[in-house]
Amino acid sequence: MSANNIFAMASRLIRQLIRDRRTIALIVIVPIVVMSLITYALPSGGNTLDKYAPSLIVTMSLFFTFLLTGISFLRERSQGTLERLMASPVSRLDMVLGYIFGFFIFALAQVLIILLFTIYALNINYAGGLWQIFIFLILIIVMAVCLGIFASAFAKNEFQMVQFIPLIIVPQIFLCGVVFPTNQMNIVLQWVGKFLPLTYGVDGMRQIMLPEGILSNLKEIWPILHGLGTDIGILIAFVIVMSVLAAVGLRRGQPS
Amino acid sequence: MDTTQKVPKPAIQTKNASFNYRKIKAVDNISIEIPSGISFGMLGPNGSGKTTFIRMLVGLIAPKSGTIRTLGRSPSRKLARHIGYMPQLPALYSELSIAQNVDFFARIYGIKNKSQRQQLVKEAVTMVGLWPRRKDSIGKLSGGMKQRVSLACAIVHRPRLLFLDEPTVGVDPALRVKFWEYFRRLTEKGVTIIISSHTMDDAAHCDRLAFLREGRVIAQGSPVELKQATGSPDASLEDAFLYFVQRKEGKIVSK
Repeated sequence: MSANNIFAMASRLIRQLIRDRRTIALIVIVPIVVMSLITYALPSGGNTLDKYAPSLIVTMSLFFTFLLTGISFLRERSQGTLERLMASPVSRLDMVLGYIFGFFIFALAQVLIILLFTIYALNINYAGGLWQIFIFLILIIVMAVCLGIFASAFAKNEFQMVQFIPLIIVPQIFLCGVVFPTNQMNIVLQWVGKFLPLTYGVDGMRQIMLPEGILSNLKEIWPILHGLGTDIGILIAFVIVMSVLAAVGLRRGQPS
Repeated sequence: MDTTQKVPKPAIQTKNASFNYRKIKAVDNISIEIPSGISFGMLGPNGSGKTTFIRMLVGLIAPKSGTIRTLGRSPSRKLARHIGYMPQLPALYSELSIAQNVDFFARIYGIKNKSQRQQLVKEAVTMVGLWPRRKDSIGKLSGGMKQRVSLACAIVHRPRLLFLDEPTVGVDPALRVKFWEYFRRLTEKGVTIIISSHTMDDAAHCDRLAFLREGRVIAQGSPVELKQATGSPDASLEDAFLYFVQRKEGKIVSK
């Protein structure tokens, strides 16, 4: 592991994205359009949006970050630069960490847009502190970056990568309690849900944002995420396992 | 030939190196020794195993059997800093400028000092004749120009061992001459260059050549030696290649 290599990778990614103006515009506009559409598609009146906002914010953050990282990493393979990186002194872990840091800034910007747009433009009511929501979302971003690299490490081309989206994102939306409560599902599916990271993301965010959540009555700044130890612990475990698996998927000596 | 005796340690040594993609034998029992400080050309038609062999020597794929020694050791990431590799595709970041691409590769090859890096980037980009266009994005360049940037990325960190997979494809004749002058300067400094190509024009410039066919080395030697082997005084390298192919197939009985 080398800080120089990680930093070189990350700053290169940032430069690449900044020079691609249309992508930057899409990063800003797409989440706003999607969140607005979902909001106006929900039955109006009452507190439907307030109830769904936590899981929607988490799901959107995961989905967009996953997509951004996954496709970007895949391009590295298809344009041949991965071959160059593999022949260079950059280790696989340097690559994964470089990607995490490089994409973190863009994913963070995107997540902030989703969060602030939902709260201020769509006017939802929420309990818990904005800081708590924000810190929790950072964890979701890191997880999504790892998930994106993990998926693209196993996809050999764009066509395969696109098919990873329904495979990785759609089941999580249905099995992790985003739309339907998990305790009404078939017991086997409930168990599958326990192995999917979004379950813990959605649960954690609900605990922060909903009035009946653990954090709603805790107003002190520290401990910021008191009571979310399990969700956070499991999400961190996912991050570690997936970054290791992503690095394994990038083995040297594989015919590309 | 003098260089062979001057430097005792070979830059590359392979023994019965083989690699196959499922049932297709891409590299079939290649045993060669490449002395340091020479340009070594690998010539052969498409699919003769040139790229696979280069990828093995770089350490991107491990041989299925046999051994490989690069700079006296088995290929590993520890050696990567001393090696420059130019893949067949111009593998570059299309959003970034020429200078940004070359700078990135200089940086990951361990050149941390910024002013030193700027100097090396300037040298490499100037060598490929693109310094006036250094701020242009790769996406705006022609195929041949991309090829030149790709070469700049491979040489920027001044490697001891340079692998070039078809470096002259899409490069115009005038620049090709300039490339070879540069390669000559590098080998004089002791850099070993391994080049794959299918043009005989490149072949004539190499100190030593290996003819590859169906994953095997069918002949090796200096361009002059290979031409002489055909027996006719005015044979070209094309003639030599065809001669060895036919001899391998048993159509010509060897002397």
